[in-house]
Amino acid sequence: MFAQLRSLWKALWNRTQMESELGDEMSFHLESRAQDLLRSGLSREDAYRRARIEFGSTVSYREKVRETHGVTWLEDFAQDLRYGWRVLRKNPGFGAVAVLTMALGIGANTAIFSVVYAVVLKPLPYADSEQLFNVFEARPQEGVTGAGWSYVNFAELRQKNHVFSEMAGNQSHQLTLTGRGAPSVVNASVVTPELLSLFGEKPLVGRVFFSEDGKPGAAPVAVLSENLWRSSFGADPNIIGSSINLDKRSFTVIGIMPAAFRFPQLTESEQVWIPLVQDPLFGGWMDRRAGHWLRVTGRLKAGVSMAQAQAELDAVSVRLAKEFPAENDGWAIRMVPLQQMIVGKLKSPLLVLLGAVGLVLLIACANIANLLLTRATSRAREIAVRTALGAGRTRIVRQLLSEATVLGLFGGVTGIVLAYWSVHGLSSLLPSNFPRTNAIRVDNVVLGFALLLSVGASVAFGLAPALFAAKANLQTNLREGGVRSGESGGYRRARSFLAAGEIALAMVLLVAAGLLLRSFANLVSVSPGFNAQHIVKADISLPQFQYSKAQQWSAFSDELLARIQAQPGMQDSAVAVPRPIVDGFINLAFDIVGSPAASSSASRTVNYVSVSPEYFHVMGIPQLSGRSFDRRDVMSSPHVTLVSKTMARLYFPNQDPLGKQLTVAFPFDNGAPREIVGVVDDVRDVALGQAPGPMMYVPYDQAPFWGANLVVKSGLSPSSVAITIRQEVRKMDKDLPVTDVAMMPEVIETTVAQPRFGASLLGLFAGLALVLAGTGIFGVISYSVSQRTREIGIRMALGAQRENVLKQVLQEGAQLAAVGLALGLAGSLGVTRLLASLLFGVNPADPLTFGVVAVILAMVALAASYIPARRATRVDPIVALRYE
Amino acid sequence: MTEQAQLLPGTLDLLILKAASLGPLHGYGILLRIEQITHGALLAEQGALYPALSRLEHQGLLNSEWGTSDNNRRAKFYRLTTSGRRRLREETQSWNRLVMAIGAALGAKPQEG
Repeated sequence: MFAQLRSLWKALWNRTQMESELGDEMSFHLESRAQDLLRSGLSREDAYRRARIEFGSTVSYREKVRETHGVTWLEDFAQDLRYGWRVLRKNPGFGAVAVLTMALGIGANTAIFSVVYAVVLKPLPYADSEQLFNVFEARPQEGVTGAGWSYVNFAELRQKNHVFSEMAGNQSHQLTLTGRGAPSVVNASVVTPELLSLFGEKPLVGRVFFSEDGKPGAAPVAVLSENLWRSSFGADPNIIGSSINLDKRSFTVIGIMPAAFRFPQLTESEQVWIPLVQDPLFGGWMDRRAGHWLRVTGRLKAGVSMAQAQAELDAVSVRLAKEFPAENDGWAIRMVPLQQMIVGKLKSPLLVLLGAVGLVLLIACANIANLLLTRATSRAREIAVRTALGAGRTRIVRQLLSEATVLGLFGGVTGIVLAYWSVHGLSSLLPSNFPRTNAIRVDNVVLGFALLLSVGASVAFGLAPALFAAKANLQTNLREGGVRSGESGGYRRARSFLAAGEIALAMVLLVAAGLLLRSFANLVSVSPGFNAQHIVKADISLPQFQYSKAQQWSAFSDELLARIQAQPGMQDSAVAVPRPIVDGFINLAFDIVGSPAASSSASRTVNYVSVSPEYFHVMGIPQLSGRSFDRRDVMSSPHVTLVSKTMARLYFPNQDPLGKQLTVAFPFDNGAPREIVGVVDDVRDVALGQAPGPMMYVPYDQAPFWGANLVVKSGLSPSSVAITIRQEVRKMDKDLPVTDVAMMPEVIETTVAQPRFGASLLGLFAGLALVLAGTGIFGVISYSVSQRTREIGIRMALGAQRENVLKQVLQEGAQLAAVGLALGLAGSLGVTRLLASLLFGVNPADPLTFGVVAVILAMVALAASYIPARRATRVDPIVALRYE
Repeated sequence: MTEQAQLLPGTLDLLILKAASLGPLHGYGILLRIEQITHGALLAEQGALYPALSRLEHQGLLNSEWGTSDNNRRAKFYRLTTSGRRRLREETQSWNRLVMAIGAALGAKPQEG
């Protein structure tokens, strides 16, 4: 760095010396020539004149000599930069406005790009990650996609395929860790033994799984994540070989994975990996060919294309369907790059944000271009002088571009500083379920992007003014001083075009922001079909080695509900698996007894929920017909079910569903029919933005789970409810952790965190755009007024009314706004269609949004014109006539 | 204004090298020497000499030092370097070849002449 500075200094120093020597040399030449001419009989005056004519322009030959030095370009650039800096310093106001505008644009772009890069573009943090694919099953006819595998099918595919060098399966759930301090819940990734080695990541200590660890009868082993090892085991150096208790079963720790390795969730830092065969839940499902639960990742062999791999997968699925039609008919196998599978859904919202912030930068550029154009007009004379002194047209363009670059780089550097600050805040604003947020930072790639953007933006806003200036009429500008008459129609048109363009871009942004805000408002105001107010949720997971029987599960939840109910302040409580929105959903195939069985390729599916009798009361879900569940609906009594309104409408049109019987493919039902005893109202169980589908409810005591997903209604504070729940659970079993205690409405709100984030950021950008566009119009009108001070003065001297002057100036602003709005309308209609997939309950061409935005922009444009218009009416004719 | 021929484009460098090969000269001296050895061919503008001098010096074909001229003024004197001498030889040869080739080409079609 210092060496570079020194050599730059030397070049500049030498250059001064060389310049003066060249001057001496040329004047010696001229002098000698003149002397010779004098001797040949010319008069002194003629001799010198003739010598100069014969020599040509010393300025331009000096320039040409400089060019032979080779470093001229760089030197010129350095000179231009210094000059640009001087010009900036002479106009600190202009400089500050331009740099700040630029900094906002670059800063916002850099910050958003850092998110897009880290989340979507950057390759996944695994070795040769582009070879990793998610391989899933799908039922194309029914639009079912992304389903998992049965272990048996997976094992067959893994052994017999020729396209993947390795394949591994995984599932996740939570296990209870006991024995060290308070019982806690850990995220367990239940894997086939190949999974950890598939990613090519070495353990920090110890080893990863061997294939023997995955065989039935093997000793239970576990691999810990570094973060779990640090937080729960105090980074115990002797942990390898010691045992830990998961769901009350002892596992030997064999390895620790480094903190940087995260799978399957890129967000989770604390977890434990255990072999599938050891898992209390999924281990029991390993020998069934039915079911779609195992997530499969494969590493493609080098040189195998995706198409080749897909062809092989197609062949496998055909063979499976032929050999085992009951389980496999209608299922296809698909693959998708792992990266796409993890972040694919975020791509379009993030790119929308990047596009929006790009528009902000464009507006900022237009604004600065306008400022530069204004200044170029007043600098016309200076430029004319430089041209007359021999500066070429390209040299002038280069000089002005360099000045723009000074601005751009200043703005860029300031922007990068802004981005550094905002990236941290931005990543904390991101929804908590956003993957890879830990990778968001201003790194070299982001810095490179910011610098490129700064230079690109400098050229964008510098080029037009530079070209205009270089084209200017030399003679007129020299003669007239250029300040007034140099203002050509071209300049004015360019400025008006830029201002109208800003309005148009701002309109696109405002419309997009408006649509997303409306969509978000729709989303949060939609009624989910239940009342989440004052409901606290809490999870208790029962260790399955200890609580291994269904009867234990229902007994546990019955007792827990009774105990909670008995506490003061608890209005009502229930268990439900899964709870709507907060837990996800269980989608099952079903048949109606007595009606022709659905063909396997078009089976009917329903979302299945197991609930205790108080559930509908706690959640405020209305009963529409028949009866609800009660305590008499137990395992030994006739199996019953409630169906939702949509279920009744879809599958029992024009008939009474009460008394009809259903069979569902759920393990505990074993195909036994359930009688429909009632109909309840619809609930949005999948997501707030998704219309209710068919649902069925079964009594918890007839279909219990290995845990209690509680909903407790209470007027007390969530923390006191949590204390009550913990206290009662501990009384029943001191080793059971209570987890994920939260207010229902808050949890539901986190599910709309992403649209909220998108809408608020876009709103912010749109606000920025509005301010910039307003400034742009203000600048143009105010400049136009100052140019016409004399004209306005004369008109007023001749008796023009103030109102007329005001009207005329406002009209100018209105015209700009009208052109901008027309352009913006066309642009918005084109752009918002791209937003359609992100919108909920609002048309991309929503007239209300468009109308409101147009009115806001028109008002801003008029307000921005009003200030200079007022100034115009205050013009004193006398002063105006003396002007200049 | 003048009937005198102008230098062929591209020959200036060669002529400068030739002029400097006859002894150290300052810029104006080189101009005079060129006029002399070309029997009065002119540069369009005399200033064009200086970018050429600078270029040749930059290429290491000339070096320069400040000295005193005949009329007792400080002037920059150019001298041919060894590589300048070699270049002059090469350029002269290739120039001669070119002249012969063009002469032959023109001579091949006497009916046109």
